[in-house]
Amino acid sequence: MSKIVLVCVEDEADVLDAVIRELEPMEDVCVVEAAADAAEARVLLKQIADRGDETGVIFCDHIMPGENGVELLVDLQKDDRWVFTRKVLLTGQAGLEATVKAVNQAELSHYISKPWDGDEVLKVAIQELSHYLVVKDINPLPYLKHVDMDIVEELMRKHLTADR
Amino acid sequence: MKFPVKKILGLILGLGCLMLLPFCHFEGLSPSGHITLGIFAFAAIFWIMEPIPIYVTSLSIILAQVLLLSDKSLFLKALTQASGGDYVAPRYQDFYATMAHPILILFLGGFSLAKAAEKYQLDRNLTRILLRPFGTSPTRVALGVMLVTGILSAFMSNTATTAMMMTVALPIVAKVPATDPFRRLIALSIPVGANIGGIATPIGTPPNAVAIAALAKQGTMVPFSTWMMIATPLVVLCLLLSWVGMCRMFKPQLEKFELSIEGSFNLAPKAIGCYVIFSVTVLLWVTEKLHGIPSAVIAFLPMVFLPALGILDKHDIRSHAWEVLWLVAGGISLGLSLKSTGLAHWMINQVSWDAFSPFMLILLFALVGYAVGNLISHTVSATILVPIAIAMLAPDAAVGPAAMIIPIAVIGIIVSFAMILPISTPPNAIALATGLIETKDLAKAGWLVGIIGIIFTLLFGAYIWPLML
Repeated sequence: MSKIVLVCVEDEADVLDAVIRELEPMEDVCVVEAAADAAEARVLLKQIADRGDETGVIFCDHIMPGENGVELLVDLQKDDRWVFTRKVLLTGQAGLEATVKAVNQAELSHYISKPWDGDEVLKVAIQELSHYLVVKDINPLPYLKHVDMDIVEELMRKHLTADR
Repeated sequence: MKFPVKKILGLILGLGCLMLLPFCHFEGLSPSGHITLGIFAFAAIFWIMEPIPIYVTSLSIILAQVLLLSDKSLFLKALTQASGGDYVAPRYQDFYATMAHPILILFLGGFSLAKAAEKYQLDRNLTRILLRPFGTSPTRVALGVMLVTGILSAFMSNTATTAMMMTVALPIVAKVPATDPFRRLIALSIPVGANIGGIATPIGTPPNAVAIAALAKQGTMVPFSTWMMIATPLVVLCLLLSWVGMCRMFKPQLEKFELSIEGSFNLAPKAIGCYVIFSVTVLLWVTEKLHGIPSAVIAFLPMVFLPALGILDKHDIRSHAWEVLWLVAGGISLGLSLKSTGLAHWMINQVSWDAFSPFMLILLFALVGYAVGNLISHTVSATILVPIAIAMLAPDAAVGPAAMIIPIAVIGIIVSFAMILPISTPPNAIALATGLIETKDLAKAGWLVGIIGIIFTLLFGAYIWPLML
């Protein structure tokens, strides 16, 4: 069975650590992987696709050495392999122009501004994973531990109806 | 990927039996009986080892019967010769007809109602209203969840009911501290309620259909209301006892719990149409004895009127669990040949059963059905056992309806109490997947429900049902 991967792209090591620590509970149902910049992220995303897994959610910083986050997200949106991947911008410094571009051209799913409160990243991960299951019409049973029941209700009914 | 040893073994064994058994020679078994034995062994092995999905195995049975045993058999000439002209081949249409057996039409009617209820959130709103009187005491809330799940799953599939109840209850229960056993109590109340509740009506769960179809073939019709009359008191008692036991096992720590669900009844014309058709159909079903219209005939009303009024559309109809109907159809079809070729009779004669009293025989079947039901599909374990049980326990209708119905109902019902393992039933799998309970919690509750179910079903069969039928 192909696994759903949550990818975090962030150049500051301590911030990346914080994100990954917060996403730890999700590892019950998903895989969490990290990249330090856009170039590394592209390699990672391709590896994930090549081994048959799918990138469900990408948490991406904007200002990074080399290519910026929004450009990466816009590029991903153009590729069939990542068009359904939920795209979350996790940044303090994306200007209005970049943000608008992310919404319009990368169908940005969520914007988390740094610094974030409490377990916001985890909450967003649960919500975006749930939306991803719905969009891709994936049986939610293996993910029930960390999904938003309201979002997957229809999906539950669709996939889990038959006695045997 | 792990090498699928079980599947490959099943494939080889199953196909081997199908191809070799017809060429063996067993004393006292007709040539067509040999072929049926091959099909039966193939089906049992494929259903248990699952090299292909269980409903496909059912379809394979029908294919095998048409190709090997029917009047369109590829070997009809050889078969007739081998049996010295004795063999009367059933029409191939008879095997196909099992796919539209009245009990399956009854299920289709139930599917239509359940789909409409889901679409207009009747199930959710009923849950909201029915849970209210149970107040805020945690143990009473658990009782409410269990009973409401039971009531809904009597008319909807156990699995769909569990999925619905989980989406309603879990977000609220998740707020309870993780250390409080109350979380586990609620997460277990739902599958327990669903599995037991399914027993209450003929359409509640497929094993009921297996039992009723087998009885119908013997000429004993079980009206909807008769099934409910014998099954519902048992269901209510078992739910209450399971609740008492589970409240001890998972004693809530918090003092007060508010399970308030938001929502309001949909009052659009189509939604009202759904409520009316739902109520009228159920009312006609439970009053079958008064008006005498068979429940399978009534079941066609929602199938026609729901789409006629636009309450259901073709997408809804496509989303019915057709494979469940086919799963049962294969079993019914197999049952035809088990009897007509004399195989069932022959199998029974292989062992001397005289040492067993009828009660011991029923107990034996019930325990085997229960054990197997924990490991494989409930429908399949009923399907394998019921035709043999019926040949052994109720050889002809002359013994009277009570003597026919009771043993078969006992076996069909006890199978539904098998819920120890996550794989035993889909509601178990859903409950476990939520992460609120562990496999050992499920096993504890499953044992409790199983013991209560077996004991009281046997007691009802021995002392109470004979007074009712």
